[in-house]
Amino acid sequence: MADTILQEPRTTPPEGTSGGERSSMQWLSCMIRPDSLETVTGALDAIGVGGMTVTDVRGFGRQKGQVEHYRGGEYTIRFLPKVKLEVAVHAQDADQVLTAIQHAARTGQVGDGKVFVTELRNVVRIRTGEKGPSAL
Amino acid sequence: MKLVTCVIRPEMLDAVTNALDKQHVVGVTVTDVRGFGRQKGQVEHYRGGEYTIRFIPKVKLDIVVQDQDVEMVLSTIGKVARTGNIGDGKIFVIDVTNAMRIRTGEKGTSAL
Repeated sequence: MADTILQEPRTTPPEGTSGGERSSMQWLSCMIRPDSLETVTGALDAIGVGGMTVTDVRGFGRQKGQVEHYRGGEYTIRFLPKVKLEVAVHAQDADQVLTAIQHAARTGQVGDGKVFVTELRNVVRIRTGEKGPSAL
Repeated sequence: MKLVTCVIRPEMLDAVTNALDKQHVVGVTVTDVRGFGRQKGQVEHYRGGEYTIRFIPKVKLDIVVQDQDVEMVLSTIGKVARTGNIGDGKIFVIDVTNAMRIRTGEKGTSAL
């Protein structure tokens, strides 16, 4: 996928800043377990995802953190360390990427994380100034 | 409103924020991130061994602006953050449905 992008003609106007029309790109923001990072990047690599941004974050979900016992005391760790992965993809690849992330990041236990999908209006490659899907 | 998220070289941060300041962009959130693009990280040589640094340290800037300012922000960052070498980074533009200034409860573009 990533290797063919350069040759692909633009399918939408590069501006995409006016809103209204559907975007041909999507922005996936995923919170995962820090120990799943390698598996997930490996899986994304395997399906040709060409880049991503990783941030160490902390957060909580349904469980509101976990309760730890230490020397007789009970402590609530409210914010659990997580890793946030941000990936920009062509809209037609989004489902495949979501599936790959789910397979790689899933343990079945509480705390596997979530993936949020938003429309990506525009992309600029800073080096060349290319805009739109061809800049992915 | 749009969220302009850009991933740039860490050493470009000052130049980019100064340029945005001149254009009266009033708020920026900066995060130290790591990531990779087309190059899949870089190969370093150290004591005869070859090491691949998969995730390269980058800086991420998050800026929320009104729709009419998006192009100005894109061209400002595009000009200042550019060295012409691989690894200059990318800028992503994402729709923002609403914003609120927490102090006053103002919503929409007046909260920017």
